[in-house]
Amino acid sequence: MDSSRQFLRQSLGLIRRRKELAWFCMWCAGIGCLFLWDEIFLNAPAFDRVRAALFNTLVSGAGAVFLSLVLGWASGAAFFLLEQRRARYSFALLSLVANAIRSLPQVVLVLVGYVLLNQLILAEIIRSETAQLAWVTVTVSVAVFLEVSDTIRSRLEYFRSLEFIDAMLCCGISESRIIHREILWRNSREHLLHKLIALFGVAIFLQCSVDFIVSVGLSTNVSLSNVPLTLGSLLASVDSKQDILALSNLFSDPAYITEIVVRHLQGVSAAFCIVFTLVCFFMIANGYARSRRLNGP
Amino acid sequence: MTRPPDFLVGLSDSLKGRLVSHAAGVVFVAVALAGFALSFEANAPAESAQERHLESYLELNGVDFGDPLDRALFRESLDRFYPGQAARNDSLLQAIDDARVRRWSGPGLRRGDTNRGFSPALLPEIAWQFAQFLLVYILALLGIYFGAERLGLYRFVKWKQGRESYLGESIRIVREYRHARANSRVRFPKGAVALDILKALGKGILTTLFFSPAYVIAYALKTSVDTSSLPFMILLALVSNGVLIQASNRFFELLVAEDRKGYVRTATVKNLHTSYEWNAKEGVPVRVLYRISQNLGPHVLRHLYENARFQFIPAMKELGSFLVTGLVIIEMALNIQGRLSYNLLQQILFGRYDVACVIIFSIFLAVKGTEVFVDTWHDFERRRYGF
Repeated sequence: MDSSRQFLRQSLGLIRRRKELAWFCMWCAGIGCLFLWDEIFLNAPAFDRVRAALFNTLVSGAGAVFLSLVLGWASGAAFFLLEQRRARYSFALLSLVANAIRSLPQVVLVLVGYVLLNQLILAEIIRSETAQLAWVTVTVSVAVFLEVSDTIRSRLEYFRSLEFIDAMLCCGISESRIIHREILWRNSREHLLHKLIALFGVAIFLQCSVDFIVSVGLSTNVSLSNVPLTLGSLLASVDSKQDILALSNLFSDPAYITEIVVRHLQGVSAAFCIVFTLVCFFMIANGYARSRRLNGP
Repeated sequence: MTRPPDFLVGLSDSLKGRLVSHAAGVVFVAVALAGFALSFEANAPAESAQERHLESYLELNGVDFGDPLDRALFRESLDRFYPGQAARNDSLLQAIDDARVRRWSGPGLRRGDTNRGFSPALLPEIAWQFAQFLLVYILALLGIYFGAERLGLYRFVKWKQGRESYLGESIRIVREYRHARANSRVRFPKGAVALDILKALGKGILTTLFFSPAYVIAYALKTSVDTSSLPFMILLALVSNGVLIQASNRFFELLVAEDRKGYVRTATVKNLHTSYEWNAKEGVPVRVLYRISQNLGPHVLRHLYENARFQFIPAMKELGSFLVTGLVIIEMALNIQGRLSYNLLQQILFGRYDVACVIIFSIFLAVKGTEVFVDTWHDFERRRYGF
């Protein structure tokens, strides 16, 4: 009994000290409470849709983060190596492409990805829902990977300024090992993890927004609105939109909140999942940066 | 040695390099978008020769094929031009009728697709929409810049006061009360605790609002507010999508990073004011939160603020790009007709990728313009501070 109380106390102490853990627990608890509420008050088909949408969104977001890490790592290391080896033309070309991607708004890049997806569906190259979701994931990661690349470049630049690289080269360690293992893996994992947590929020925001736009604005084009259900596309459905529109009744009749949380659950649940996830992951990233003293207090 | 162009004279080498890089980026994206549009154009089903032939008849001035008299006159004219080919002339008239039916009942028309591909006549319309987009963008960007600085400054002062969390503050009051109760009879400070809980609630609602995607806020207000008006758009761009809160967080982090540097201790030793109490004699005046030009006098915060502001300038490039993303989402999600992003969505819907590419290029130019402005501004500030 005492040991379990001690364990509980230690866990609570850890959560109090590390805000990222507290916010992650809060996110889990919030989504858990929402599901419990939906289980009681939301009809079964709608509840299934909410669950499937959240699952698809989280999986796609996590996939986008993983792909961003791979692309960002590769491009960041390539930038550094090209600069180190004074390959001016290759470096200039890579910079040109990177700057062009950076200057195109992310939502436009993702929309272009959806246009290409439409073409692939029409040509019957992509058929399954999983492949469509994977395509969207790749598109989102292309739109955001440069943030990882920038973090990697700044870390490599920092270690170059410390003459860490020159010293290790003198010790006979290969350039590749210095970059990938010594600098990025051993000395930059926390920075990368912080960036990836922040990117998870950005990826979810982008995906939900574009899904919402595509479902609302391109609804006459059947093939484009047939992509797997996500929180954005669920929010764009007529039922959910009516649920969100009903929120404005609260201005004239605050007591209508009792109706909102019982009768308009599908849209409110989808909106809650999006906003709560964005808030929590921003706080998790911030808390992580604070506890590791990466760039905050 | 060749002389650099006149517009590059007087600029620092790093800025010159950046401007050249921006120009190369514009050319690269223009070529890429042109290639993208042309590849779609090449793959689009070509209008058949017969369709083009029928179009020439349908565009004849003064001939209404719905009017029996005009039809009869047209038929007689055909007989005059092509005598002895009655069957051919009847077929042509039938084909014209079919083309008219197709023109008024095609799938594109059912979706409201009345225009064809890109033409110079579309440019004024796109330019007007772009000007509106730019106006909203510039005003929202200015709002975010000043809002982020003020919010960041406010958070920093609260952090220095050790009063960042209202809930934490109320817990502290309760703990102090429990500690004091052990020694003497004191009344529970209900008012202070209730006020802190209310403040925490308000902060939570504001945070939720700031992180809400624009379409959630706009749809929640759609029946009460005109969501297509320019002021609402600017306000929505400011408070939604997490732009303002991320920007203010960036500024706050810069202030905190500056606060850790050695010069702050030196300044303290040299008797600069270090109190962070609002409106105290040697503290921070509240007016810093709403005045455009900052005058903090001999307070150490002045130096923290100026150094953080200098580092915050380049962050405006990322914020600009993210704000454009937010604006595009707002215009598209709310289906605001006659706006640039709504037009872009319509062009994608109708498969007119050439017009879509022109609009994307104009949006790209808005972001690029911001980058050029921010780089020039940062370079100017750097030279002003003598870096």
